[in-house]
Amino acid sequence: MIGLKGTLNVIDNSGALLIECVNVLKQKVNNGWGSVGDEIVCVVKRARPVSGQTSASAAKVRQGDVRRAVIVRTRKAVRRPDGRYIRFDDNAAVLLNNKREMLGTRIGGVVSADLRMKGWGKIVSLAPKMSLSITQKPGSK
Amino acid sequence: MFNSFRKCTQRLMSTATQPYPFSSVAMVSAPPPTPALEGLKAGKGLMPYLRQRLLSPEKLELLARFGRRHPERILPGSVLQVTSKHAPTAFTGVLLGIRRRGADTSVLLRNVINRTGVEVQFAVCSPNVKDVKVLMRAGGRGSEGRAGKRMRRAKLFYLRDSPDKMTAISAGMR
Repeated sequence: MIGLKGTLNVIDNSGALLIECVNVLKQKVNNGWGSVGDEIVCVVKRARPVSGQTSASAAKVRQGDVRRAVIVRTRKAVRRPDGRYIRFDDNAAVLLNNKREMLGTRIGGVVSADLRMKGWGKIVSLAPKMSLSITQKPGSK
Repeated sequence: MFNSFRKCTQRLMSTATQPYPFSSVAMVSAPPPTPALEGLKAGKGLMPYLRQRLLSPEKLELLARFGRRHPERILPGSVLQVTSKHAPTAFTGVLLGIRRRGADTSVLLRNVINRTGVEVQFAVCSPNVKDVKVLMRAGGRGSEGRAGKRMRRAKLFYLRDSPDKMTAISAGMR
């Protein structure tokens, strides 16, 4: 449930660290709250310091940029069709450009598997592990 | 009074094969359970009857392991591995709490993946849930300090705020 003023961590390598939601797009239902797989318009609140030379990886965003993003993790439980509920410990997003393409090139963290159902298969394939697809001992990093 | 009624409906509803007196090979299946018991038609003992008949026997057995009276009941604080049919197949996690609602019983498992906490709530009687394995019972192995103590709560939501207790449980696992 991300709405106006909701903050999200950015988990790709586009350079932003923290973004604040300004608007949730395409929401005629859900009262204007965004969930996993929804596009939002956001403001970059904190970004990594941009070096002078252009590095090999993707374009860096600066603090104060207005960008689009897709929500990949929410602290609010999301229901799967079989009755499971998935909840993460933080809210996270991945930055996009206006053509729904990713700005970064790598994703550093788990993403919810519901993204694939909403049509963001490319992000899911870039993520290191899809949620629920590994059998790790609890508490391990 | 209700217990004896429940026992006699259980016996009536067993579909085990019965021996045929004239041949050891032939198997005669029991007649299908007669649903039209007089008391049921009047509505007596309807809910216990439904509770027995609604789920398959394996699911009933799984439910009983999460109940409160089973001798080997699963306590919150155990580490479970749930295997599901569709989608990502296996999830391991610490059992944070059991929500007991009969057929709607669900369990909450928590794991930390890539430094992010993930909690999944599984509906136990869902056909998607194939198997629930207990990797470590609550209370740890022997007495290992934090991991060895018995959990004194029914819902262990405090584990969300203390990652050190979670690592203590996982250390007790290895």
